[in-house]
Amino acid sequence: MRNIYTPYLAEITGIKQETSDIKTFRLEFKDKAVESSFKYRPGQFVELSVFSEGEAPFCIANSPTRQSGLECSVKRMGKVTQALHDLDIGDTVGIRGPYGNGFPLEALKGKNLLFVAGGIGLAPLRSLINYCLDNRSDFEDITIVNGARTSADLVYKDEYGIWQKAKATKLHLTVDCQEENWSCMVGVVPKVLEKLAPACGNSAAIVCGPAVMMKYTLPVLLRLGFCEPSIITTLEMKMKCGLGKCGRCNIGHLYICKDGPVFSYRQLEDLNYEF
Amino acid sequence: MMKKFTREELYKLIDGLLKGFEVIGPRELAGKGISYQAITATPDLYLGDGFTLEPVKKFFFSPSEYLFAQANGSWEEMPLGKSKRVIFGVRPCEARGLTLLDKIFDAPEYADDSYVSRRKNTAIIGLSCLNPGKDCFCTSLGGSPLDGRGMDALIFACAERFIAEIATEKGKEIFSGLGKDLTTEEREAWLQDKKKRKTPGQINLPESLDAVFKSDYWRKVSFACIGCGICTYLCPTCHCFDLADEGRRKLRCYDGCAFGDFTREASGVNPRLTKKERYRQRVFHKFDYFKKNFGENLCVGCARCIRHCPVKMDISEIVRNVSLEAKA
Repeated sequence: MRNIYTPYLAEITGIKQETSDIKTFRLEFKDKAVESSFKYRPGQFVELSVFSEGEAPFCIANSPTRQSGLECSVKRMGKVTQALHDLDIGDTVGIRGPYGNGFPLEALKGKNLLFVAGGIGLAPLRSLINYCLDNRSDFEDITIVNGARTSADLVYKDEYGIWQKAKATKLHLTVDCQEENWSCMVGVVPKVLEKLAPACGNSAAIVCGPAVMMKYTLPVLLRLGFCEPSIITTLEMKMKCGLGKCGRCNIGHLYICKDGPVFSYRQLEDLNYEF
Repeated sequence: MMKKFTREELYKLIDGLLKGFEVIGPRELAGKGISYQAITATPDLYLGDGFTLEPVKKFFFSPSEYLFAQANGSWEEMPLGKSKRVIFGVRPCEARGLTLLDKIFDAPEYADDSYVSRRKNTAIIGLSCLNPGKDCFCTSLGGSPLDGRGMDALIFACAERFIAEIATEKGKEIFSGLGKDLTTEEREAWLQDKKKRKTPGQINLPESLDAVFKSDYWRKVSFACIGCGICTYLCPTCHCFDLADEGRRKLRCYDGCAFGDFTREASGVNPRLTKKERYRQRVFHKFDYFKKNFGENLCVGCARCIRHCPVKMDISEIVRNVSLEAKA
């Protein structure tokens, strides 16, 4: 019998330093039967644990279409993330999941997709972007707007070239302030988005970033003509169980862990949610 | 099925049960009030009007328990509680509380094995309240001191004897050797007598709290709160918990919305920054969110949070007055 709170053991098989405080960990289950039965959708998350230190939720940042192990990008922020950053290749962690609803893949089929990301907010979108590129014929045009405070804070840099070359796919990068040797856009994400003015017809916008970016990006999307149900975001809050039992990550009557983390802007409006 | 028996017969029954079961019931401890404890000898069992400090939930969902431990690079899970238990003297409100906790911990998708196993292996024998407390408001939440929901049997103290209404097979088994069945006439008389029993007065609770979420009311009513969390610990339906690492073991312990760090994130951001948001969460979880998810309020009106609040906050009054606030 397996307790619902007991994690599976996994080994760190790769670590990539994305920025000064973000690392992407590649994780493989020690039990090969678990590895092959672990199925997830883009937008779902796992609870990662470090022995004796604690457990925290992280989105799965790689696409299930390229599955060999899981990737989680972790920003060093508190106790568990510091403990994760202190680990090396070959070290063992615990994984529970996958949890949450994931992105509404069926509803997104046949649409133009606008991805808007800020900082580490690109992590859950990267899973979906790569999923869409691997199922290219299911989706129309793909536009990615990705911003960070500085160019040093941009994540997944080595994938930008692939995204730029992909069929009917555009990538716009932006940093908050002008830097030397920076040839892409300058300005915070909402401003850049307004300037780019992507078309809203038959489109869905998938947005993830810090609260302040979300707050100013949503009005821009509405002005551009995106309707509330087709603006999709993925949220986070402090979580413990990931199963809708421990009682802390609710927005109104919905739990981010169980009913989310992916919500439409329409749902959040109905729930009195404020960024 | 209804049975009548004397106190002596009940004691004899419990003596018999002690051989095969772990028997738990309310006990009055000098200087410590009444609390659910293991019963080792029948006179220990308290069958008076008083209420236990802690609700019976701790025998299913423990204030603090180890879930698993890391051992030799693997996990060792704690064995499930499989001992056969009978809990006597459970109040109707608390038994209803268990039926609400079932919706969380015995959920179809993710069932909590330790909770489910304890529920399965425990018989609940209730005791109807002859004199409900002055703060009790179970009737406002669809309950009653005469309500046997969530129990295997409910015992009523009558003038010179007890009557048990037995609801389940588990209950029948426990009471199989005890007392006599009620005759048809006795049954009729008892049903009449039951109607005359004291029940707490009913208050009107609002159907929905949607309209008052943004109201300043929550700042005003939470002003006195010192964030001690006793309301959540003593509540028969509060189920929030923390998962914490202690050495190589994983602990699950009670946690609650009254505490500032309950939702404080590693970045320092806290979506429920002040006691206004925290107390509002408590009231909404109980009287709005849970109802949206499960069709019932997450409160059984036991009034423990009212009786034991160090600053005398009264959730029944606060929720009742919401209606006035919404109109204002």
